[in-house]
Parts: sequence; C-alpha cells; structure tokens
Amino acid sequence: MVRRALTLLAALLVVTVTPALAQYRIGMSAAITGPASSTYAPTYEAYKAYFKRVNDAGGINGQKVEITYEDDRGEPQRAAANAKKLAEGSILMVNASTSATYKPFMTESESEKLPLLFGGGVCPREAFPPANPLIFCSTSFGSKWDSRFALGFIKEQAAGKKVKVGFAAQDIPLSRIELEFAEQLAKEMGLEAIPVVVVPGNTPDFTPFAQKLKDAGADWVLSWALWHVEVGVFEALQRLGWQGSYLLYGHQQTQDELARLKAPNLYAFGGNTLFMENLPIHTEITNLVKGQTTHPAHYMAEGWVSAMVLEAGLKKCGWPCPKDKLATALAGVSVDTRGLRGGPIEWTADNHYRKNTYYKVYRWDPSKNGIAPVGGWTRLEIK
Amino acid sequence: MTQALATTVVVASLYALLATGYVLVYRATRVLNLAQGDMMTLGGYFLFLAAAAVPGQPALAILTATLLSALAGFLIYRLLIRPMAGHPIFAAVLVTVTLGILLRAAIVLVYTDRIRHPLPLLGLANPPRRLPGGAVVSTFDLLTVGAAAALFLGLFAFLRLSPLGIQMRAAGEKALLAAQRGINFQLLFALSWALAGLAGALAGILYANNVRLDPSLGILGLKAFAVALVGGLDSLAGVIPGALLVAAVEVLSVRYGDPLLADVSPFLCLLAMLLVRPWGLFGTKEELERV
Repeated sequence: MVRRALTLLAALLVVTVTPALAQYRIGMSAAITGPASSTYAPTYEAYKAYFKRVNDAGGINGQKVEITYEDDRGEPQRAAANAKKLAEGSILMVNASTSATYKPFMTESESEKLPLLFGGGVCPREAFPPANPLIFCSTSFGSKWDSRFALGFIKEQAAGKKVKVGFAAQDIPLSRIELEFAEQLAKEMGLEAIPVVVVPGNTPDFTPFAQKLKDAGADWVLSWALWHVEVGVFEALQRLGWQGSYLLYGHQQTQDELARLKAPNLYAFGGNTLFMENLPIHTEITNLVKGQTTHPAHYMAEGWVSAMVLEAGLKKCGWPCPKDKLATALAGVSVDTRGLRGGPIEWTADNHYRKNTYYKVYRWDPSKNGIAPVGGWTRLEIK
Repeated sequence: MTQALATTVVVASLYALLATGYVLVYRATRVLNLAQGDMMTLGGYFLFLAAAAVPGQPALAILTATLLSALAGFLIYRLLIRPMAGHPIFAAVLVTVTLGILLRAAIVLVYTDRIRHPLPLLGLANPPRRLPGGAVVSTFDLLTVGAAAALFLGLFAFLRLSPLGIQMRAAGEKALLAAQRGINFQLLFALSWALAGLAGALAGILYANNVRLDPSLGILGLKAFAVALVGGLDSLAGVIPGALLVAAVEVLSVRYGDPLLADVSPFLCLLAMLLVRPWGLFGTKEELERV
C-alpha cells in the first residue's frame, strides 16, 4: 500500500515537474497597478499577448515560454520581494516599472548572474556602452539621448532664430536629472535656457508652474516626465495665452491626447511609430490583442518591441538555454522591429541599449485635421 | 499678482469642496473619513460612467453622478460605519482607510489606470476666461468657485434654517440627547455621509473635466484634510479661511519660492497650526480634547 502510494507520488512529481523544467522560464515584474501603471501595465499586457501567440504556435526551439508575472506597483519594497522570487528558476528577469524598482533587480541580477531586461522603463546607465554584461534595455526612451534629440529638434525648428527654452520637470529624480542635463546642454548648444521648473505630480493646478515659464519668456518648453505632468503644464500654458511651442516625450497616450488637444504648437517626440500610420505590424497587433488587453492596441508598441527582442534572444540561445548562454545570445541580437521603431535593435558585447536610436516627432496638423509626423526618423548613433 | 490671486481662489475652492466632506462627517459621527479623496475620485468616475451612457447630455450626466455619489456616501455609512457603533472611533477610521484602498482597486479593475477626460463625452468645452485685472482661468475653474460658493450657501441655509439641518446639528452635538428627543440620528448621520459624498463628487466632477481623471486623484484628499484641520475639524465656517490660507501658501511658494514646496506646503501650514492653535482657526478646543 505504502509502496503504491510512494510510486503514485513519484509519478505525480515527475508529471508536475518535468514540463515546468522543459520551458524557457522568465520572470517579469511590472507596475501593473499603482500610480505609474498607465505607462507600464500595457507592456505587461503586450508580453502576455505576444507570448501567448508564440506558445500557441509551438514555442521557441520547440519549447514553450513560461513567464511569471508579478505586480510591483512601482514600489521598491515590492520590487525587492519580486526580484528574489522571480530570480529562482528563471533564466532572465524583465523589469517594466519605475526607476525606483531598478536597484533591487540589479542587485539580484548581479548576485545570481541572471540577465535582466528593462522593457518599458527608462534604460539605466548600465545598458549603455560600456554595458554591464547582464543588463539589457529595449525601451524606446533613454536619458540624455532624448534631450540631445529634443534640443536638436528645437534648434532646427528655430532655424537660426535666437530662442529661449524652458524646461518642465516632475518632482521625481529621473525627470529632474534629465532636464537639468538638458538645461546645461541647451546652453552648450547656444540656446538660451531658462532654469528647470519642477512640478509636483500631485499638484491640483498647473497654472502657477506654467505662469513661471511664461513669465520667463519661454519660446519653447521641453518636458520629460510622466504624461499627466507633461500635458498638465501645456494645457495651463495654453490657457494663459502662451504663444510658444511645446515639445514633450510621447508616451503611449500620445495618439489619443494629440487628437484630444488638437493643438498645432504641441509636439510629441518618441522612439515608437504611432499606430495612426497604420503599418502592417500595427494591424497585426490590433487584431491579435483584440479582447485580450484592457488598454488599446496602440499602447502596446513598447512591450511588443521588448517581447520581439526577448524572442530573438531565446531563438539565438537555442535549447537548453542556461542564463549565461542567454546573456551571451542577447548581446548579439539584431531585431527588425518591422516599422515599430525607426530601425533595428542591435546589441553588441558592450552596447546593450542599441547601436542606433531613432526619433520621430508628431503633432496635430490642422490642415489635415489629423496627427501628422514632423519630418522623418532622426538617427543618433550610440557610442 | 492677479493671476496668483485667481489661482489661489480656484485651488481654495477645490480644497473647500473636499474639506467640507471631512467636516460634515466629523461633526456628525466624529469619524475622520480618510476615504474622502477616493470619494472624490469615485464621483469623477460616476460622471465618466454617466457620460458614456448618455453622451452629449451634460446636465443629466452630472446630476446622475452627483446622486450616485450621495447614494454611495449613504451606503458607506449604512453598511460600514454604522456597524462600528460601540467600537473605538479608531476602528471606524481604519475602515475608511480600507475603504479608500478598495475604491481605488475597484476603479482600476473596471477602468484601468488610464487617464480619462469626460469632457468630450459630455460634449462640452473648457475655454479660458479672462478676468478683470488680466488673470486667466478656465471655465471649469470658474465653475469650481461657483460650486464651492453654492455648496456653502446651501449648507449654511440648510443647517441654520431647515428643521432637518437643525436636527443634524443637534445630533452632531449630543447624539444621545437628540435621540431622546425623538430625532432619528442614524438617518441624520447617514445624511451627513451622503452630503460628504456629494461634496466630494462635485470636486471630482469638476476636476475630471478641468484637468484629468485617473484613480490616483484621491491624493488631493490628503491636502484637503490639512485644510479641514487648519480651519478646525468641527467647523464648516473654518473651511473657507483654511482653504484660502493653504491655497495661498501653495500658490505663492511656487511663485516666490521653490516650486517643490508647493506639494508640502499644506502640511507645513498644518504643522504650524498644530503648534500655534491645535484646534484650528475656527474649531473648538473641547473637540480637540475629545479627539
């Protein structure tokens, strides 16, 4: 009787354990809920839809991709717990959350020698040359490079005219550091820079901050923050009768919001093509995520690209794919983003951001009564 | 300077709408309703729901959202707060904290964290308005000021002149004595919660149309809590000067000081008030001792 029970138990264990091992096991922590989730939850949803399709089609190299998802709400304490949990048995961790959650993940990645992919949150310094061998980043936006492009764009639009540039940052370290860098860079580029105005994310009224920028005589304002702050300052400036131009980083909300505001002096720059361009990949994503996500299809670009890169890495890794082999494989991927970005994502041994990054600007065009790109893609080489 | 003054009045009006909810509930039931900010958010989402159901009919949508919010306030009292009678007040306060968390989670479940704008659904616009002196505010800024003024006038008239309002004041002051006089104080307490829901909803509806709607708006409730304490937690009359003071410090700190101070200025006002006059501008000392 006992022997039979033990045999049954052993059989059950085999049945339970074997399939779990014969899979690419990935752990993902994302701000699925919480104040920043409108930026990060779509990445989680894109991953789910993308890898469901991959698995339904037979997986990668004959193996399914099993992703464990954890919600960190963008909070470092939760992220620390998630990092510990996800590191166990995974061959790679994905972080799609606020920069406040990065530290525990990087610590865990370092101690477990586990590759870590940032997909959806701003790319950390460690992904740029000379890259940490374990840290990778597929996100379209990157600190310092975004400011370089944005100020170049403003200068180009100014067409030799002397312009004053204001900066609207949010009271989070990342946004402040980026725009303080931009303020300095603007001076070096010969633009007149107004000191950064830092806006608390919870302000009930953006008018006083907008007034400060208007009073300082800004011809252009650059904002690089969470969406509600970027747009809140713009709307307040508009209300005050400000006649300048406003350039902000285009998060997932861009397409909806440009159409809502219909303001020709509002420019949104970013690394992802807006779905209004209606490329075949956009149609494909729209059809695929129908009924599967709580966010609209045009919020999926960031997560989709990240999932494409991960799929390419796993394909290259082959099977079996231990974590060290996956890190090496990722360091050599080249992914055709099929128009979601301005060019491929190419990683090398010392560059885990990308060899080239691409930016495009959109705005509301009253003559077309729609959103239109302002020029084509601009390429910046990452050295 | 006129712009700063106009902005101060607008921000103060928003805070006053929210702080009224705290004061009404506290006066009636001695409970600090820490879910007031989330009740504001709920009001905004009720508007979004109503606007989606009857697009292009703003009056109907706003009326529906306001009534639903008042009903929510009534139900919160009936289902969550009333059963806490006889337990320490602290327990009821914890119930409101839990309620706030649950409301936020429920909103995210239904509507996700996406930023919403009910204004286009209502078929309304929010054009800027130039005031005498050159200040510019939005149409919904003006409506916020008007709504706060109307709410206060209405509440003063109701509490001073109507039999129900007088009974409400009596029940708030001495519930046992009021009950012995045949006053249904449970109904009056529920009415206070309903009015708090209504005040919160007004704030939520106006803010959602003026700025944005997302599940995190409830954080503004914390600033309004500071307003209620500065004015005096048991004093409706204290809400207006409390709101003006907090809003003025917040707006002026952006204009003349460090903009980062704006976020903490309501709490600096609160701290200063607690050091100088812990019962607030118009609150009663006895109430503080009871707390």
